[in-house]
Amino acid sequence: MNEIVLEINNLSHGYNENNEFLQNINLDISSGEKVAILGPSGCGKSTLLRLIAGLEKPNTGDIKINGQLVSSNNFLTPPEKRNIGLVVQEKALFPHLSIHENISFGIKKDKEKNTIVSDLLNLFKIEDLKNKYPHEISGGEQQRVALARSLAPNPKFLMLDEPFSALDKNLKESLYEEISEVFSRKNSTILLVTHDNSEAQIMTDRQIKMEQGQLL
Amino acid sequence: MNKLTFWRFLPFAVLLVFTAPLIIVISSLFGEYSENWSHLFEFVLIDYISSSLYLVIGVSLLVFILGTVTAWTVTSYNFTGKRIFEWALILPLSIPPYILAYTFTGLFDHYGDANNLVRFLFNLENSSIFFPNVRNIYGAIIVFAFTLYPYVYLVSRSAFINQSRSMKESARILGLNQYQVFYKLALPLIRPAAIGGLMLVIMETLSDFGAVDHFAIQTFTTGIFRTWYGLYDIQTAMQLASLLLLTVGVFYLIERQSRGEGIYTSRNSTYSPNQQESLKGYKALIAFLICFIPIFIGFILPIIELLLWAFEVNLEFFSNKFIENSINTLTLSLATGLVCAALALLINFSIRFTPNELILRLSYLLSIGYAVPGLILAVGMVQLMVFLDANVFLGFEFVLTGSLFGLILAYIIKTYALANSSIESGYERLSHALDDSAKLLGSSGFRMLKNVHIPLLKTSILTSVLLVMSDVVKELPATLILRPFNFETLAVSTYTYASEERMLQAAAPAIAIVLIGLIPIVFLSKMIRSSRPVEEK
Repeated sequence: MNEIVLEINNLSHGYNENNEFLQNINLDISSGEKVAILGPSGCGKSTLLRLIAGLEKPNTGDIKINGQLVSSNNFLTPPEKRNIGLVVQEKALFPHLSIHENISFGIKKDKEKNTIVSDLLNLFKIEDLKNKYPHEISGGEQQRVALARSLAPNPKFLMLDEPFSALDKNLKESLYEEISEVFSRKNSTILLVTHDNSEAQIMTDRQIKMEQGQLL
Repeated sequence: MNKLTFWRFLPFAVLLVFTAPLIIVISSLFGEYSENWSHLFEFVLIDYISSSLYLVIGVSLLVFILGTVTAWTVTSYNFTGKRIFEWALILPLSIPPYILAYTFTGLFDHYGDANNLVRFLFNLENSSIFFPNVRNIYGAIIVFAFTLYPYVYLVSRSAFINQSRSMKESARILGLNQYQVFYKLALPLIRPAAIGGLMLVIMETLSDFGAVDHFAIQTFTTGIFRTWYGLYDIQTAMQLASLLLLTVGVFYLIERQSRGEGIYTSRNSTYSPNQQESLKGYKALIAFLICFIPIFIGFILPIIELLLWAFEVNLEFFSNKFIENSINTLTLSLATGLVCAALALLINFSIRFTPNELILRLSYLLSIGYAVPGLILAVGMVQLMVFLDANVFLGFEFVLTGSLFGLILAYIIKTYALANSSIESGYERLSHALDDSAKLLGSSGFRMLKNVHIPLLKTSILTSVLLVMSDVVKELPATLILRPFNFETLAVSTYTYASEERMLQAAAPAIAIVLIGLIPIVFLSKMIRSSRPVEEK
């Protein structure tokens, strides 16, 4: 049996105890597993990812990564120490850095950084873009770069927050297959949040519904 | 002249008048070089260059640190006093560097109030000194940095607000801690904006006369003044002024260039506003001190010292001399404000009326005056007035030379950019559909300006008059040189008292200058309050 990479126990979160928009979340994800959380806008999907990333502290419950406690209401491992990846709809590429520099951003001290970047450029078929800047490439290419950048530090698992929602339908469909193939080849552990059922079906093995802050 | 020709001709005519004194100054480089020039070149020019360079480097470094760190602190964190600091950090802009220099020497000289206070508190002898001498280049660097850092603070704050939260969060997830996010990501991203702010600071530093003169530092401006008033050699003074003008011109071009460069922001349809971290305990105290210290040194300390001086002489606010100087200052500043606003209105209207690439470019050139040191403008203006008296007013002696006309014209050239920025942004908000409707209803040219534009631009016009007034009140070197004989303003009176070391008497006019200087700060602080990022609950 694969080891559990992410473990969430009785997690609740909100601005205060009377106004919790995430309630009693329990979730386990094993290594290599690809899981989608499906739900409408505003149901708390993105907040759950922010809590897992360490960008917010939960009111109650805890989060463990590789069996180690990283978040509880009185303990928080900072995001930079969790070794996880996050790709958001906005892509959040650094506009002053080239594509090569963007992808190598998280592995600057790694001796193998040029090899890793070159492999990722190759994997995502963006070798020709390496010296360009984010504003010089298309939306689909930007999303490939964002995915490559998040995979460069070899994260324990990768979280995707509606990564394709800003792209047009045809581009989305071609990217689904392409990206799914990359994830399979790398045996990446994926947690995808989306409101698009077909996206969840193509990209992941397990889908969980979320409504009004609760996993169903 | 038909209507269309008038609107096309106007910007050219104004540009000719605005650039005439500068052309006169620059043309001196192609004239004869006197023995004084050889002397300056051999013995003191290198001092002028090196001290100006030290000053610019020191001020730039300190301003960059103060401006960016304070801006980052108020945009990234929540702590006690943050909402006040957001706008209070620009208060030092109301204190001209020369007034901070006067109060610094009043506080930190051997028998200054700060040293006296420490001696009194610890019952020590008069020979004990606690604060280092500030009458040197280091003191000048501190004075300039703590009065001018708001230029960098303002642009940095605005750039930090526009940075996307998710970009910074991505950097955190990719391994940077929150301090590394500041200097490895956020700071490089605001580079174009910060460079623009720094260029303004450098231009202000190189233009200053009052502070460097008080600290006896040999810079270009003090050199020009001494060459003219000490050696009575206006030709050499103009040649020195040309060198300074060319230097300032380079910084002006860099500043314009940095405006054109893409400022790295992430304002798009999926932009997510910054989340501010709430600080408590010692971290909140550090954030508080980071913001409080610049305001304390650049605003609170000089105000306290000025008030102490003012009360020591039983408030000279109502002496005849003070009232006369105040009236002179207000009259000059109001006249300049009204002319500048009218000119900016006419020129912006002419650009709107006859849109044309050449006229648009010319209108940018009209704003060059704000970058020109007042001293250089004054040197050029004196020569222009002498030329006009000799060639236009034949038979009359000194009609324009030594008159208020030259002084007001110099003020207009120097402050036109302020009036223009306000009226230009007012015009940007006026839909062109209004013009079309007015034309269809039979109102064009002056009628459209009078009946449609002026009523709609009332606030912009008022703002431009106030902005110009507050800048004119502070202007020292141009006033000192171009004022008519025995005519004093608040700035001249402050300078005269301070140069005679009569600091107590300098307090009343200095306070009045600061109070008037607060006018644009009120406008700016309103803008700052309305430009807060979306608050996280």
